[in-house]
Amino acid sequence: MNAAEKKRDPTGYKGDLRERLIREKIGVWSIVRLERGHSIYEGVVLPRSEHTAEDYLVIKVDTGYNIGVKITQECKITEIGFQKGDYHLPQIAVKTRKELPNISLLGTGGTVASRLDYRTGSVLPAFTPEELFSAVPELMNICNLSPKKIYSILSENFKPEYWVKTAEAILDEFHNGAVGVIVGHGTDTMAFTASALSFFFKQLAAPIVIVGSQRSSDRPSSDGPMNIINASTIAGYADLAEVVVCMHGNTSDTYNLIHRGTRVRKMHSSRRDAFKTISDIPLGMIDSKRNITFFKNDVKHRNNIQDTYLDTKIDPKVAILNSYPGCNPDILNSIIDIGYHGVVILGTGLGHVPSDFFPALERAQEEEIPVCIVVDPLFGFTNLRVYETGRDMLALGVIEGANMLPSAAYAKMIWSLGHTRNIKEVKEILTTNIAGEITDREVNSGYLVLQGIEENIGKITNTLDPKPREHYWGEQVEKSEK
Amino acid sequence: MLNPETISFEALGFRAGLEVHHQIKSTRKLFCHCKPNLRRDSPDYLFERKFRPVLGEMGDFDEGMLIEYEKGYRVIYHAYTEQVCLYEQDEQPPFWPDMEAIYSGYELAQWLNCSALVDVGIVARKQYLDGSITTGFQRTMIVARDGWVEVNNKKIRISNLTVEEDAARKIKTENSGRTVYYNLDRLGIPLVEVITDHRDCTNVTDLRKLAEIIGLTLRISGIGMTGIGSVRQDVNISIQKGDRVEIKGVQDLSQFENMTRREAVRQDMLIKIAQMLRERKLTKAELEHTYYDITEEFTSGLIPEGLSVMAIRIPKFAGILGLEIQPGKDFGQDVFEKASLISGILTQHMFHSDELSNDAQRRKLSSLPFFMPLMHESLDKNIRKLLNLSNRDAYCIALGKNTWIIHALKKIIERLKYALDGVPQETRRLLPDGNSEFLRVIHGKDRLYPDTDTPALELDLRKIESFKGKVGKRPWDLEQEFQQKYNLSFSHLQSLVHENRLEDFLILVNNYNQKPTIIYSFLVETLKSLRRKGVNTSHIGVKEIMEILQQAALNKLSVYDLVQEKYHHKQEVYF
Repeated sequence: MNAAEKKRDPTGYKGDLRERLIREKIGVWSIVRLERGHSIYEGVVLPRSEHTAEDYLVIKVDTGYNIGVKITQECKITEIGFQKGDYHLPQIAVKTRKELPNISLLGTGGTVASRLDYRTGSVLPAFTPEELFSAVPELMNICNLSPKKIYSILSENFKPEYWVKTAEAILDEFHNGAVGVIVGHGTDTMAFTASALSFFFKQLAAPIVIVGSQRSSDRPSSDGPMNIINASTIAGYADLAEVVVCMHGNTSDTYNLIHRGTRVRKMHSSRRDAFKTISDIPLGMIDSKRNITFFKNDVKHRNNIQDTYLDTKIDPKVAILNSYPGCNPDILNSIIDIGYHGVVILGTGLGHVPSDFFPALERAQEEEIPVCIVVDPLFGFTNLRVYETGRDMLALGVIEGANMLPSAAYAKMIWSLGHTRNIKEVKEILTTNIAGEITDREVNSGYLVLQGIEENIGKITNTLDPKPREHYWGEQVEKSEK
Repeated sequence: MLNPETISFEALGFRAGLEVHHQIKSTRKLFCHCKPNLRRDSPDYLFERKFRPVLGEMGDFDEGMLIEYEKGYRVIYHAYTEQVCLYEQDEQPPFWPDMEAIYSGYELAQWLNCSALVDVGIVARKQYLDGSITTGFQRTMIVARDGWVEVNNKKIRISNLTVEEDAARKIKTENSGRTVYYNLDRLGIPLVEVITDHRDCTNVTDLRKLAEIIGLTLRISGIGMTGIGSVRQDVNISIQKGDRVEIKGVQDLSQFENMTRREAVRQDMLIKIAQMLRERKLTKAELEHTYYDITEEFTSGLIPEGLSVMAIRIPKFAGILGLEIQPGKDFGQDVFEKASLISGILTQHMFHSDELSNDAQRRKLSSLPFFMPLMHESLDKNIRKLLNLSNRDAYCIALGKNTWIIHALKKIIERLKYALDGVPQETRRLLPDGNSEFLRVIHGKDRLYPDTDTPALELDLRKIESFKGKVGKRPWDLEQEFQQKYNLSFSHLQSLVHENRLEDFLILVNNYNQKPTIIYSFLVETLKSLRRKGVNTSHIGVKEIMEILQQAALNKLSVYDLVQEKYHHKQEVYF
């Protein structure tokens, strides 16, 4: 290749080093020989991550390691070859089998399917859900899976309008013959989406299973594959017609839990078993042999999908506030000033705010802006009748959120306001249970948050799966029982 | 019977290298704040996991990973609250690394004369699917390249020096190796890995000395942790026309010679086998992936309920499978070991046609393989007829559940196809008798990719440069000094280092002009005998020793007698 034909792009490199690379016609994927004093390095030039220092060239040497070399004046760089690397997936021939249920997997982004990005040096949403699919061939024996990418958003960037689009995409899949739909979602805001969908879908007749991974799929230890296998089983075979979240039940790769979408919360920043049902037991579980067991007796069952319809009217102008010592009522005032239509406040204890806040609450009452109180401890019911502060708050028109989680109350407020701004009607909707976001009782097992020092706790932490299942790559997997 | 003792390393074109893993002295683990020590008591908690292969940075799967994945491991972990936190549990990202441990790596690089020191630490991930690391990858970073050590007056190059986290330790396996138990205490402990250029060592004496020199450097420099289990060696061996084979877990240096000879012999035999197969005009296509169910050929009742026997045709291999390639082990057995590790079918339940002979290696075992007592001439004839085999051909059979056997036989065919090419690149495990067995396919560079959880580490280059000033006398310089100045040998040097008394020795001999042999004898032998009597000798320093020597001279007593008397009264018993 003569100099004129050589196209070399020093992707990601900046400043003087970039100038030099351009001048010497060296770019990413060039195989170079670097000489600096007595040191000689040979390797492939890699795209530079944005956060590496500017005068460092990153090369991949023969042993496979990436080395950062500071390029100074006295360095000599010679191109001795060129090797472009293509990050593409092996081709998979997908066969449809009549005896298997048709499931759709809608990808919204996050770490369910991810890859390496040199620009930021971090993990980003992948191109298609097929990446997950090609890494989990077991799925081919469970269902006929149709993956579709509807978004590529990190879940922290999710917005209420995306909930609506997601719901519409899900309903389309049901109309196209899917007997269950899986939604791949980032774990950060999964619970919010789950709640919203629970309110949007009316007469839901089939399961919508939201799934993600706490360890991204570019890791051998990823929880993603087991989660998606379990989610597919639920979507295809469970007699269930609710929006649920399906993630690991404990730190082991043994069973997943099936959480009602309105009662689930991410309770740890990184653990695979981060998701817990709050103030109740989970709906069910799916074990290592993919057997499903339901624990609650109010689980909604499958029905005629033709009867399912959407009600996605929303008003996203809702804010969530925390109450804490010294919080200034101006915060609530500002929200009202800016033009928000509703507020969810996490009140301390039974749902309290400081009495300094009362003038702001009064103003909200006057301007008919609904203020819904939920409990900052997350577990338990609000009760503003027990103490004076609470009674004063009630007099100022706040709405008790009962035992709604902040994520559920937020989504519900957005949905309520989408239908009416009439404060009485909003209050009626907020305080009436739709999809399990409010329960009429709380049982003891709803709050078994252990401290690790309990007598016999070792019995739980030292117990392994009593009926483990060996798995084989690509081998015919037994169909699970319904 | 093969005799490894008579081989000539030179004639074979023997080459060897080392990968020495040594724990770095530190107060914490490399990527978290757990205690870097080991536990023997029962675990505080347990959990279990499964692993899958992923794509490498340049867009491909690594073959080694796929093979490991095919085994379908269930991995059970034993954890201790002091040594294991959410990091080792793969439930949280790494903390900022222990920079002290990393700088220790750079200091060692100066001791080892490394000319290329990495300016920016880029942590990479090296994938392991065997369960030894909960994340499925080991975090490792290259610190330096292009160093050297002197061994028997020859320069052996150090190609790479890395700082990395150690893996978990295997406790046991169950269920035909498909369930594995690991102890997580060791996971995350900082290690330095010294890799020598495997072209530089041409005989086993130098190889052993190389290991000793590197070990000494780590101790003398104060960088390496001392104690049992803190050092592990892997040896890379190849002969001319062979290929690099890595033998893992060579703990004891005394095993080197035996192990090396047996591996050289094995490779030589594999090359001979390849030649023989070529002479027989075997082509890879003749080895077909067709599996014949021959359960019916066996008298009813002999084959357990629910299991079958399947066979494969192995054309032109008659007499080759039964060739001894390591003392007591034939080629067939070597192939079976690999297939067994991957498929879970025991080698006990495999059999090849050469084993009909009375000379078959496995006839010497105390417990015979399943088929050995069953096979007889007419059964052999039937099978050959069924499979359409001539006397120049061989066959292999296996017992088990259908899908498992097919998997095993598939691996056997794959390995036999490779027989035409000679020596496969492999990672093998050392067996107690010095033979080795397949452990996994050698890890390629496709298994390495950048760790996105740790940012690039900017290092203090001036600090690294200043380490040059900390470098003392290197082991080979000391060896020369010992020989020429003190009339002592390399093993004397080793003993002093082992007892942690090198510094005392040098001071007493050079600053106090004491006789080397006397000082050596005192520091190594006398102190040892005191310790056996329960005396705490760590209080006995240079000052105390000089006093003892002076007193002995004054009172015309032998040092030994003086010491006995002196410490007889001060006996403190330490256990």
